[in-house]
Amino acid sequence: MNAIKYYLLTFIFLQILIPISVLGHEDSFAKMGVVSPKNEKIAPNFILETVTGEKISLKDFKGKAVLINFWATWCQPCKNELPSMQRIYEILGSEGVEVIAISIDRNKKERVEQYIKNYNLTFPILLDPSQKVRKDYFILGLPTSYLIGSDGKLKGFISGAREWDSNDSKEMFSTLMRLQ
Amino acid sequence: MKLFKFIFSAVLFILLSSSAATAYIGLCCAHCGGNMPLNIMGGGIPETHEYRFKISEMYMSMDGLRDGTDEKSTSDLGPSTAAGKFRGVPKSMDSYMTMLGGAYSFTDNFAAMIMGGYVRNTMSMTTTAGDYDMFSQGLTDTKLIGKYRFYHDDNLAPTKQLSVVGGLAVPTGRITIKNTNHPTKTMRGKLLPLGMQPGSGTWDPILGLTFQKSADPFWMGANFITTQRWGLNDQDYKKGSEYALDLYVMRQFNEKALASFQLNGKAWGDYSDEPKTGKENGDCHAMLNSTREWMTPLCDPTNYGGVNLHATVGMQFQPVPLHVAELNLSLPLYQNLNGPQLQSDFMLRLTYYLEVPTKKSRRYKGFSAPKQLGF
Repeated sequence: MNAIKYYLLTFIFLQILIPISVLGHEDSFAKMGVVSPKNEKIAPNFILETVTGEKISLKDFKGKAVLINFWATWCQPCKNELPSMQRIYEILGSEGVEVIAISIDRNKKERVEQYIKNYNLTFPILLDPSQKVRKDYFILGLPTSYLIGSDGKLKGFISGAREWDSNDSKEMFSTLMRLQ
Repeated sequence: MKLFKFIFSAVLFILLSSSAATAYIGLCCAHCGGNMPLNIMGGGIPETHEYRFKISEMYMSMDGLRDGTDEKSTSDLGPSTAAGKFRGVPKSMDSYMTMLGGAYSFTDNFAAMIMGGYVRNTMSMTTTAGDYDMFSQGLTDTKLIGKYRFYHDDNLAPTKQLSVVGGLAVPTGRITIKNTNHPTKTMRGKLLPLGMQPGSGTWDPILGLTFQKSADPFWMGANFITTQRWGLNDQDYKKGSEYALDLYVMRQFNEKALASFQLNGKAWGDYSDEPKTGKENGDCHAMLNSTREWMTPLCDPTNYGGVNLHATVGMQFQPVPLHVAELNLSLPLYQNLNGPQLQSDFMLRLTYYLEVPTKKSRRYKGFSAPKQLGF
């Protein structure tokens, strides 16, 4: 009888807890205008070069919460959000949040390099001159960002620029780190 | 003037009704690579589901006469009552034109535009009765245009695009403006010469083809457009057809500014005849007798048309998102005119361009998350 009571209480507790956690996740994502997936899919893998020629694969970040941002040097809103991306990387980088920005500029390595220098960017900036990765991620406007969970699955889609070091953003990353 | 008021009211209405749709401008263009100088017809296509309004003020100076490629002095032509001379000869003209345009993009590939203007022409004349300024003002013809992009190599950041332009010039400009300030009283109230009339009086098809290329930080392209004049107006004449080819290159040298250089070629035909009213009353003939010689070279319908090539330098600024200003200066490089007629001296144009996103615009609602990735 006690066992039945135990399972019943556990079941009721979970029925309350699960929606709260889901609602909490939805709330922190909604504040940042994140679109959550209907079916979580593995983020398309890629191997791209940095401006120094180092090859980086998405798989290198497995187990971490990842923000992938697509940008271009000709996109003003993209440039506006780069400093806040650097700040959130400095705040949460050590806690398991990785930031990757993929430039879709065609053969503008020097200019991307200049931006890295100007904005003192220390997170990985990758080059996609052939636009292959951009197409794999169905990028139709800039800037566009994706949130990837530590399980390597896509957890969110963000269209447009954001203040990445705002309190809402920190809450969103905190939720992302908890999501499996 | 009624049409002008109507267009102004319509623009105001759209601006006010769109104000609720405070644009989320933190999103870059959906199909970048389509930047064109704003003075070229069909330039400045709005983003999808967005309006754009354009107001520009143009000043055109015409100074001196030309016949073919040769410059002519006023004294070669008159003023004189002697045979082979004209009783009135133009010396120069100042033309101010205020242009209003509106456009809306229904899809990534199709936009519709409307353009109209109000012109004020002052032509300095020397006549046997003394010098005076011939003046006309009024609405120009209104252009309704559709632009369809039928080829692009990439929707987000195309490097090559091809579009066709089709439309109609609606005869909103008058063709029967009369002389009000001729030094001879009997000439007042007579029809002004053909070139001083702001309209064509005919419904004219417009056709064009645009090629645009982008190679960051450059934009370049070619725009061909023709206005065909097939029918006669109610004064039983038609203006000559017009053909324009604009080649441009633009370079972004600053986040908020870019410079442009253009070569603007134009060929246009002469008038088919003098106006019916003029023919009946002899308005443009010596002694007001239609069997006599032309009073000024402006009256002869064959003294119009020709070929010219201008070079245009320009600067475009985007001080804040959604607002663009452009300044252009055009100078003639080559002129071969069916003359004698006034030749181009220079042209200055200032344009202000306003983008108005609607709630359907991607810049308002953002892009949709891709279904292919589970969203």
